[in-house]
Amino acid sequence: MPRLRLPKATLALPAWVWLLAFFAAPVALIIWYSFGYKPGIFGTHANDILSLDRYAEALSPTFFTTFANTLWVGVAGTVLCLIIGMPVAYWMAVKVPVARRGLLIAAIMIPFWTNFLVRTIGWQIILSPQGWLSQGLQGLGLIDGPLEILYSRTAVLIGVVYNYLPLMILPLFVAFDRVGEPLREASKDLGAGRLQTFLRVTIPLARPGIIAGLLLVYIPLMGDYITATVLGGAKGNMAGQMVAAQFQTAQNWALGSAMAVVLILTILLSAAILGLVIWLASLPFRSHYRLRLGADA
Amino acid sequence: MSDTETRRIALERTAQDPSSPAVPAKARRSVSDRLFMIWGIAVLLFLFAPILVILVYSFNTGRLLIAFDGFGLDPFLTILNKPAIQNAVSVSIRSGVLSALFATAIGTLAGVAMARRPGKWVGWFLAVLVLVTVTPEIVDAVSLLPWVVFLGQDLGLTIFNDGIFRLIVGNSLFSIAVVSYIVRARLVGISESLEEASADLYAPPLRTFWRITLPLAMPAVLAGGLLSFTLSLDNTIISSFVSVSGTTPWPVYVLSAVRSGLRPEIASVSTLMLILTLLALVLVAWVLKRSGDSATQIARTMAGS
Amino acid sequence: MTDEPIRILAPRQAIPTIKRELSRRNFLAFSAAAASVATLAACTPGGGAQPGAGLVASGGPLEANLNIYSWGDYDDPGVVESFTDTLGPKVTFGSYGSNEEMISKLIAAKGTSGYDIVVPTGVFVPQLAKNGLVVELNHDLLPNLKYMDPAFLKQEWDPENKYSVCKAWGTTGFVYDKNIITRDLTTWNDFLDAAQNEASGKTSVLDDPAELTGMYFWANGIDWNTTKKEDLDAAEDYLVNTLSPHIAAFDSYPGGTAIPEGTQVLMQVWNGDARLGIMNGGEPDRWAWRLGAPATELWMDNWSIAMGAKNPEAAHAFINYTMVPETQLVQLDYIGYHTGAAGIEKAAEAEGLEMLDMVFFTPDQLATMKNGELNENQDRVVEIWNKMKAAAGA
Repeated sequence: MPRLRLPKATLALPAWVWLLAFFAAPVALIIWYSFGYKPGIFGTHANDILSLDRYAEALSPTFFTTFANTLWVGVAGTVLCLIIGMPVAYWMAVKVPVARRGLLIAAIMIPFWTNFLVRTIGWQIILSPQGWLSQGLQGLGLIDGPLEILYSRTAVLIGVVYNYLPLMILPLFVAFDRVGEPLREASKDLGAGRLQTFLRVTIPLARPGIIAGLLLVYIPLMGDYITATVLGGAKGNMAGQMVAAQFQTAQNWALGSAMAVVLILTILLSAAILGLVIWLASLPFRSHYRLRLGADA
Repeated sequence: MSDTETRRIALERTAQDPSSPAVPAKARRSVSDRLFMIWGIAVLLFLFAPILVILVYSFNTGRLLIAFDGFGLDPFLTILNKPAIQNAVSVSIRSGVLSALFATAIGTLAGVAMARRPGKWVGWFLAVLVLVTVTPEIVDAVSLLPWVVFLGQDLGLTIFNDGIFRLIVGNSLFSIAVVSYIVRARLVGISESLEEASADLYAPPLRTFWRITLPLAMPAVLAGGLLSFTLSLDNTIISSFVSVSGTTPWPVYVLSAVRSGLRPEIASVSTLMLILTLLALVLVAWVLKRSGDSATQIARTMAGS
Repeated sequence: MTDEPIRILAPRQAIPTIKRELSRRNFLAFSAAAASVATLAACTPGGGAQPGAGLVASGGPLEANLNIYSWGDYDDPGVVESFTDTLGPKVTFGSYGSNEEMISKLIAAKGTSGYDIVVPTGVFVPQLAKNGLVVELNHDLLPNLKYMDPAFLKQEWDPENKYSVCKAWGTTGFVYDKNIITRDLTTWNDFLDAAQNEASGKTSVLDDPAELTGMYFWANGIDWNTTKKEDLDAAEDYLVNTLSPHIAAFDSYPGGTAIPEGTQVLMQVWNGDARLGIMNGGEPDRWAWRLGAPATELWMDNWSIAMGAKNPEAAHAFINYTMVPETQLVQLDYIGYHTGAAGIEKAAEAEGLEMLDMVFFTPDQLATMKNGELNENQDRVVEIWNKMKAAAGA
């Protein structure tokens, strides 16, 4: 008796069609534009002559700086999120009583639930040279003049770390929580110190969560330019801003498209490199648990 | 027994059963535990700082948001006189709900298909989802605008001239990917035996889907829907490109105001929206809890892993 | 197509460029947006035909809504409120920081931007009209045109006010914090010097391409509409390599936040926005406003109706409403720009409005101001703006 089953993959058909129509097709269009050029003052793009010139332009020294900066902010922001977020996630997953965890998770998510632009404006208020923080620090004699963080690289980093930190903490929390108490106990019973347990058991087992966190932070951060512009002013010029400017002001869709493609490639490449680094870094810790725990990880 | 050993045992006990009344946890808490707690609380303060500022400044009676003048309810009253703000919020909520419903529906189907009908196609589909996920919003934004305009104006598909519909399209991409991941992750972790049993008992596929698969996936579906709604509410970059004036969503309204001068009522609206989202959060947590998930599992589904 | 005689309204200097563009490219190579409309426009004598889908205002009942895409904080909220109260349509605003930004939006959206009214600067009106991005005004619905000073109507870019009516005009200068910059700055050269010294890292410039290259040309006695390559090269070299590292922000509206909050020390700014900022800041003595010298720009922003406007009746009603003399005075006091109404200077003085020296200018000052042009340097100017942003972010 054959059992009644839905045909293979039919259920995914709507998603397939939708993503092809509104993701693949428009992105293909952008890639096509990127081989064209801007036909004079009143045109946005033309494709009758195809070339790689727009890519050369997008990677010319001036704009290359912007990609380099974006990469810098992206990597620094992600690393900071990891450094700041990991102890918090560990604390929540291991140290905090189970009953209170739900509340903490909600607390971590609340900022994530307020419009990110409004949160960023909140930082603008805090960091303003005439704001409370500035006056407070001056009052305490910690700084001489008004606070000069706004419109600097530091402000950009504060902003992006702030906006993406919850996206780091949550997957890390889940990962640490999944490792579970018994394994850590076992490790300690076998004579491992706390640091050793953390490095050799907890971290390797939490690896999927760490990778998820890194990607969840890094990818949107690389494309974000609003946080950076609101807090960094001219110093917050990100690649996303350059792409937007070609479409929103310069009417140079060809160059903008080439920049967009370069941005995606930068993200893919750097994420791949990141993956490689993590894989290499975890090699020394791997062999230990692989045999027994590999399946579980 | 040496001092460190005592401490270690205490630590282990605390870790095992922190609420245990036998050991007054506070007294025995180790230095590192305390450091972790201080760090955690400091980070929470960091996360809340700008939100508290916005809460306070939503009562600013001054003309400009960032220059605090006096304390009053005026900005909240101003909202009543600003149809543009009300409209922006309502557009955001409407498009957010619609895109969440839509993305959840087709994302759930895709997630179920990936978990229950694996095959070569899953690899391809996952690759597309990964691409959707890693594509920065700005790239979606610049590519979608010419595309929807082409469909709407050149091909005459007038629905693409509709502001809300455009926002739904813009919001849907990332949301579909997220929902598909979450639902797949949830179902992959649950054995197919129930569905097989249902099929063995001659239940038609649709009924099996409604009665067995969907309930099994429900926490993930809810979490995915909620996440889609949040993402849509926050969607600024794509929205600012595709939106049609008159159906300007809230983030785009704020973005426009960032440039031309922020008024206190922007903070007031945010305060109101924060309260509403908090209520929604509590509601969802309550629903999830009733369906038997622990706080940790809720976080797990919400974080999508 | 290109054999047809083409009649468009454009600054005389731009005509060769436009002609060249038109003959060089078939219409497909044009921006896709402009194509169909430009075709129509080119075939119709007068060149201003409206696209088939566009609604035409004929004095019918007003629509319920009105969407205005304008410069930031450019209308008195009270005026807008009273317009809604008396005539009905609810007004929604979107804002932009440069003409290029507004035009990009209109071109990309091909009439689906949803905006009814746009406020282009004069020199951009011909391009907008030519590409069919704005539609003809119905003067029957604008009886209050009679209150306007004829000196501000019938400008070179739109000799019959077919597409545009003066909304406000102004100029560019700078504002600095006297607490930090203790010397007296008077010229663009002083501005550029201070930006690299005491105001380094605390200087903002307009986020508008033309004023950036303009600033260099004004300082160096070069015509700011120059199309000479060596001028543009020199401007690029100076602005990108020398000035940019000192710039903290590209901000078209420092009056909104930067002046009241004191976030910057030195700011390139439009006169009305400077006045708004100084008045809002509560520390008028701290700030000094200087009109750009030895030369600076003169711009006039205009009410126009966008192609595809869904609410043309309400749009006309709004434009007409803003031209009532009392409204113009309220507008002037709020935005700090001359609105082009006849006799408004006297009325403003009689009313005792503040800081009028930032709104009205002496004949001597007016003589130093010059209209911009839209010519073949446009792409280069935008490119320089682009590169400055990249360099400032380094």
